[in-house]
Amino acid sequence: MSFREKSAWITLVTVLLCFGAYFGTEFAHWFSGDARSNGFLLLKCVGAFVILQLVLTLAAAWTTPKDGRTPRDERERMIQARSHSIGYYVLVVLMLMLGVPLHLGHPSAPEMMFYALLGVVITGLVVSAAQIVMFRRGF
Amino acid sequence: MALPIANQIRRLRFEHGEMTQAELAERIGMTRQTIAAIEAGKYSPSLEAAFRIAQVFGAPLDQVFQWIG
Repeated sequence: MSFREKSAWITLVTVLLCFGAYFGTEFAHWFSGDARSNGFLLLKCVGAFVILQLVLTLAAAWTTPKDGRTPRDERERMIQARSHSIGYYVLVVLMLMLGVPLHLGHPSAPEMMFYALLGVVITGLVVSAAQIVMFRRGF
Repeated sequence: MALPIANQIRRLRFEHGEMTQAELAERIGMTRQTIAAIEAGKYSPSLEAAFRIAQVFGAPLDQVFQWIG
């Protein structure tokens, strides 16, 4: 597995773990009727995400030292461009969907930030997943 | 998804001292995974990369890549 593919897997797994924990906890509170926003939990999850990314990326570079030092080749650049193009459309749709909570009620600014962050995280997952599929199956 | 371009890279590698994918990749500035994808017909290289590959084998482009429609 190339360094770039490992990076895509690392992003997918760390986003799922760290932001999954954050959104899972927030939605659990929301469904139990306690809809307080927990900024400290978000900070902890972002911190864990950064540390995990750093450690796992260093480990990936250590196991594939040649790949880690060389610039992307043409196929890797194309995969990156296509995955970000897919991610762009996903992000546009999700940002347009921010109008739904606005239409249904009067969400507070932290609530809107919560939904926007959810959109950004979903987009990140889609980009990483698209990269993995293209690395595995070709295009 | 099968691409409409066939290639003889695998045969040419073995005819050139059993060159590995990694060696070929290093000589043309690509990753081994990209060479593997080209060989397997999962990725069509750019014209520049195709010429570089042909140059490594000292063969004309049409002996390395063939259009099969």
